[in-house]
Amino acid sequence: MSTKNKTTDVASKGKVTESLWTKAFTSNTEWSDKEEFLDVIYWMRQAIGIVLGLCWGLIPLKGFIGILLFVAVNAGVIYLYVSNYQNVDEEEYGGMWEITKEGFMTAFAGFLVTWIIIYTGLHGSESL
Amino acid sequence: MWGDSLLIVFISICTAFLGEVEKRKEAHGDSLDKQHKKKIEREEERLKNNNRDLSLVKMKSMFAIGFAFTALLSMFNSIFDGRVVAKLPFHPISWIQGLSHRNLPGDNYTDCSFIFLYILCTMSIRQNIQKLLGFAPSRAASKQGGALFATPPSQFK
Repeated sequence: MSTKNKTTDVASKGKVTESLWTKAFTSNTEWSDKEEFLDVIYWMRQAIGIVLGLCWGLIPLKGFIGILLFVAVNAGVIYLYVSNYQNVDEEEYGGMWEITKEGFMTAFAGFLVTWIIIYTGLHGSESL
Repeated sequence: MWGDSLLIVFISICTAFLGEVEKRKEAHGDSLDKQHKKKIEREEERLKNNNRDLSLVKMKSMFAIGFAFTALLSMFNSIFDGRVVAKLPFHPISWIQGLSHRNLPGDNYTDCSFIFLYILCTMSIRQNIQKLLGFAPSRAASKQGGALFATPPSQFK
């Protein structure tokens, strides 16, 4: 009995995540659950942070321009996604600032870690 | 040097998981307690006792987490003492230099010490693991509760 419950639970969970993926990548989705939308933004941020960290490390980009570029790209992509792709009313979420803030510090830390590690691995022996 | 940096990332993943597993135990205790509340509404005396026990256990595990993290951190600190674990691709600002250049010889500030990389890793990995496992406090709770529900930075002690 309990195992049956579990399997249906897992199945429904899979369905939910799948629909969340499609929801995230189709434009102008109706977001009934605010938390869901903020979660999408949060994970998007993390992904962007890690990808940018990889790129900056491979290029390699040095100095504060790297950090500034990260902040600009991160905020810009999320802003475009929210306002142009999803056309969400930002006031529902307490203004653009709340959306921009969502998961920013975590993404920033993740970005720094990937950047530093890739940079160390590839260019650690050179001096700045 | 790269090996060192990767090792630190691995360490911080491990410690983050450790903390979350310990928390899961607590959360389990919490749900049990709620069930009890429904079932034995009349036996308030017993409930009180249970609650007291629960908070005692909670406190114990909180102390255990804090103690373990402090011990681990000081252990790793002494292992990586004076070693350059990574090369920073930027010059850190002056008030971060104390952290990123802790216990390191020379004044090349692009050298990175263990503690800085560890803190960065913990910041990103721990939060994400919490979020993945569903232990992160909900947005409403963290907004209202402020410091009360915020994750305590116990491992930085």
